[in-house]
Amino acid sequence: MSTESSASPDSRHSTIYLMRDVVKNREAKGVAFRLRVPHLHINRGEKIAVIGESGSGKSTLLDMLAFILQPSTAGSFRFRPDDDKEPIDIDACWQSDNLNILGDMRKRHIGYVMQTGGLLPYLSVHDNINLSRSVVGLGRDGTVEHLAEMLGIANQLKKLPDDLSTGERQRVAIGRALAHRPAIVIADEPTASLDPYAAENVMSLFLALAEEFNSTVILATHAWRHIKELGLRRLAHRTTHSQDRKLTETVVHG
Amino acid sequence: MFGSLFKVYRLATRDYLHEWQMSACFMLGLAAVLGPMMVLFGLKFGIVGAMMDQLIEDPGNREIRPIGSGRFDQTWLESVRGRPDVAFLVPRTRSIAATIELSSTHSSRIVPVELIASAAGDPLLAQDEPLAEGFDRLVLSRSTADKLAVSAGDMIDGSLARRYRGAQERVHLDLSVAAVAPEQAFSRDGAFVSVQLLEALEDFRDGRAVPELGWSGAPVQAERTYPGFRLYARSIDDVAGLREAFADIGVDVHTQVAGIELVKRMDRNLTAIYWAIAIIGLVGFSLSLGASLWANVDRKRKQLSVLRLVGFRTSDIVWFPMVQALYTAVLGWVLAVSIYYLTAWVINNMMAGQVEAGQLVCRLLPVHYAIALGLTCGAAVLAAGLAGMRSARIEPSEGLREI
Repeated sequence: MSTESSASPDSRHSTIYLMRDVVKNREAKGVAFRLRVPHLHINRGEKIAVIGESGSGKSTLLDMLAFILQPSTAGSFRFRPDDDKEPIDIDACWQSDNLNILGDMRKRHIGYVMQTGGLLPYLSVHDNINLSRSVVGLGRDGTVEHLAEMLGIANQLKKLPDDLSTGERQRVAIGRALAHRPAIVIADEPTASLDPYAAENVMSLFLALAEEFNSTVILATHAWRHIKELGLRRLAHRTTHSQDRKLTETVVHG
Repeated sequence: MFGSLFKVYRLATRDYLHEWQMSACFMLGLAAVLGPMMVLFGLKFGIVGAMMDQLIEDPGNREIRPIGSGRFDQTWLESVRGRPDVAFLVPRTRSIAATIELSSTHSSRIVPVELIASAAGDPLLAQDEPLAEGFDRLVLSRSTADKLAVSAGDMIDGSLARRYRGAQERVHLDLSVAAVAPEQAFSRDGAFVSVQLLEALEDFRDGRAVPELGWSGAPVQAERTYPGFRLYARSIDDVAGLREAFADIGVDVHTQVAGIELVKRMDRNLTAIYWAIAIIGLVGFSLSLGASLWANVDRKRKQLSVLRLVGFRTSDIVWFPMVQALYTAVLGWVLAVSIYYLTAWVINNMMAGQVEAGQLVCRLLPVHYAIALGLTCGAAVLAAGLAGMRSARIEPSEGLREI
């Protein structure tokens, strides 16, 4: 296991995620997949990179961290978005089928950048960015305009997503993920559909803005070469296949 | 909660407008099925409804008259009058005795008229007009009033003659015109008078005395019987039952049962045909609407997943397709009503020469539009609700991976 961290886990109170013995089993087309997380500890302000080949469970881990995918089993899964409050038992929320609590936590504390943006085609760039703010009831305070300025899309605010390039759409998605100033931003290969130059540019912007907004970043990426220079801590992972190739297991810890 | 619902409503509206071509297709698809169904029902309701209205409005269809002469006394008549299916009954004196010659100072003509027994509640006469009552008030038929050149409130002279003990006698009555009956009440020369006056005239002609009018003659018989009566059933549905009741006691009567039954059978047959077509149409309509809304929700799984991801609750998300389905239902209904109006206008104009003035071949009542709207919205909400529930239950991650 190797870790490189931008923020040291200096105290128990700065822990934002804590997972122990969390397992997610999935099956598709006769092939089973298991993601195992014996131990995962993420501190506030960290920038985490989740790296692995396609199908190795990166998205599965991110979805569990975003509370949109229920673990199959969990020894312990705690989330503490606020140092002043007690950790929340995520597994208990799933077990009690209390999806509204998970939804409320997601909308307040998590921003999510999808691989292809996931913008709503009928909303303007401004309204797409503002969506995450609107859902939590935040009023206009210039954040949307500031983000648009920083992301280089200030002139596109009135346009619809269909009128934008792929890179611009991804910037809008980053803006939406950050607009409500979440404690965590989860990004699932946000630059996968961009050319290398644009990818580097967008990634730098994303991490800079996350820094400015004091957000913890959890990022799935293929961009190995940038991990160190961008100051990301890479989660250790190991993927194995059964002899008959009918079971793939990935173990992640960090 | 309402804040979230309002946000979902706004998002659904913007999406509906953004995809206006697809929305228009859904709306047209709905109107293409609903519009012809409304025209079909309008035709059924217009044609058969007009015939049924005619049947109900024309009291002649509820009239029951005995065939030939009988001997009906007051007790029997009272018992029939007390039946719940009888709306009006008045005895009739002998036809030959029920005539009088009328004249007025406004006309030189002497008009012999038939006298028709009448009383309060006579269906042939307007209910708010003064009655024919006593020995001096009558209601003239339209043709008689025209020939005598009189109207309500005028005084006229009535005279009748008899041969009594070998001598010709003629008496005169001062009569007041209480009202003039509508044309359809009695088309010949006639006058509606009280049973009391009819009995007096019959007694005079038969050589009996009428002390109330100072006419001399033989003493009046103790118990009077009548050769016939004029009866009206309470509704057209009661006519057949009354006819059977009279047949059971040996009284043959003339009724409009055959005509009533013909129209009612036509109504039943057309209703059955309409419902057969309507049910097939409704099933097709529901499947088409349900399938299109279901497909629409399925198409939007990704967007709905995004909404869940940013924090909308499952219960909020369900409203997204519901709002859009309601738009489709209401706008589709508006278009269907427009199709109906245009088609009905063409049909009614084409058939105008073949129906009575003011009668429409194709027509609907406001309640029919409301029912069509209610059914459409209900089916749309049901289909969208089921599809929305299914969509809202999928894990957001599942929808997001479909991107």
